[in-house]
Amino acid sequence: MIELKDLAYVRLGASDLEDAESFATRSLGLQIGEQTAKSLYLRSDDRAHTLCYFEGDPSDQTVAFEVEDEEKLGAAATTLDALGHAVHVGNATECSLRKVRAFIGFKDPTGNQIELAVRPERSGKRYFATRDAGITGFSHVGLNSTDPARDEQFWTQVCNARVSDRIGDIALMRVNAIHHTVALAPGRGPGIHHINHQVESNDDVLRSYYHLSGQRVPIVFGPGRHPTSGARFLYFLGPGEMVFEYSVGVDEIADEETHRPRQFGFEPSSLCMWGAKSARPR
Amino acid sequence: MKTMNMAAPLPRSPLIQLCYVRLAVRHPQPAAAFATDVLGLQPVPDKQALLFRSDDRYHTLCLEPDSAISSIGIEIADEAALNRVAQVLKQEGFAAREATAEECARRFVCGALIVADATGNEIELVLRPAQSGRRYFPSRDAGVTGLQSVALRSRALKDDLRLWTTILGAEVSDRAGDVTYLRFDQKHHRIALYPSDRAGIVYVSYGVESMDAIMQSNYFVQERQIKIVHGPGREPASGQIFLRFEGPEGHVFSYAYGLNDIGPDHHPRQFSAHPSSLCEWGSECQDIPELQLASGR
Repeated sequence: MIELKDLAYVRLGASDLEDAESFATRSLGLQIGEQTAKSLYLRSDDRAHTLCYFEGDPSDQTVAFEVEDEEKLGAAATTLDALGHAVHVGNATECSLRKVRAFIGFKDPTGNQIELAVRPERSGKRYFATRDAGITGFSHVGLNSTDPARDEQFWTQVCNARVSDRIGDIALMRVNAIHHTVALAPGRGPGIHHINHQVESNDDVLRSYYHLSGQRVPIVFGPGRHPTSGARFLYFLGPGEMVFEYSVGVDEIADEETHRPRQFGFEPSSLCMWGAKSARPR
Repeated sequence: MKTMNMAAPLPRSPLIQLCYVRLAVRHPQPAAAFATDVLGLQPVPDKQALLFRSDDRYHTLCLEPDSAISSIGIEIADEAALNRVAQVLKQEGFAAREATAEECARRFVCGALIVADATGNEIELVLRPAQSGRRYFPSRDAGVTGLQSVALRSRALKDDLRLWTTILGAEVSDRAGDVTYLRFDQKHHRIALYPSDRAGIVYVSYGVESMDAIMQSNYFVQERQIKIVHGPGREPASGQIFLRFEGPEGHVFSYAYGLNDIGPDHHPRQFSAHPSSLCEWGSECQDIPELQLASGR
């Protein structure tokens, strides 16, 4: 079983890096860790970067998880290869671009680009936000799934994720005590469904609602509260139609042994217990 | 201020609690429907069906079709206190009259002094307001916990404050621009005075159980095309999370959660005359001039 330790970073192609920078700093509130002609590295916590925009196609999206060491990385590569997933071993340049020691890339059953990385860099400098959004760190991703039941099998059998709750067939899965690190979302093709950063308080979620509305950033869902994780949330649109989420108060699953996933019906009240309705473009 | 003698208790305001609001309405039926269907208050089984409960008291809202002016009821400690206050009011030139037996019956109190503040608002100081024997049962799951506070318009702030503080013993908790928050128990405020050009009630605020309740009501009222005039927001001075929305005939109601307690040593703070002093989240009021903060009105 491939043991995912944590999310490491997300890589997004950007058709306009300047626009991406403006959004990432003035709206999202991340800190620029490093900037080159073709790449923008953004920080949300003590890691060297958790989001990288690179000059490229916005549909070129990758999610990376950290694994324990190079030995486990090698074992993962073997496992994936045996299952018929083509494995790309990252070369020196690619590792450097990702600020990791080593990584492999593959596609999940839906076709999402996934990387497993070893020794992702941390920064010596404290995280300092660009705006007072109250961000405490990059927390989870939603991943498109063309077959949630099949993909749940992949993440829980091939990898070490556990299902915390389901909405219809959509699984919210954890790799540690945090309620979910990967949420599967029904989609017509591969892609990241949303990128979540945690914020400090309810006040931060509501403040961002007004701040982003004032900046004319489209609010796609919320402010609301997920009945599944208990978190108060806000979803909004970034460059390339990527959806970002702020949330606070994600529950922890205290008892690994006995937690049973709950089943929520696939309806708006399962996504928000306050009554907000999603206005997602897709 | 005199040095405090720790042995003697601080003189307390004779005001006990905000009891009720009497809202002047031209058309009671739509207002009554709003009170139950939207606010979620419980109608008192009374022939006229104009009384509503929000907690363990007999009523906290009365719709009044026979009056042009709204009023608020505040319980005062006892008859002695009421008489003392009546005396001082007379001396200080405030208009006050004893309520008739019939007026008291309609208010479910044993005695009342109807006082006009300098702005022209009617404040009823009442004795022995009725409690209900029955448990409160709401009309909808809004999480209402009870009548919490009232905001009044003031066009003579200095004189209105003289009435509230010097005569009635309330304390100024904080100010935002010239908006003044007044307390007479442990809660940050029960009365808020908003500078205005006329008399009246700015909003009636009902406490709710949680932030969830506020946000659920936010979407609930939006779905019913009810106009939200301010919020959802968070009031910096008091800490309360609020949602202010408009009912029939322009009456504004507020749901609130998280109104802070205030200690006796609290020194009133002056928040700047800026919208962020009324809402720290960034909500702004579009339509109610009193809620658009500007100093020196």
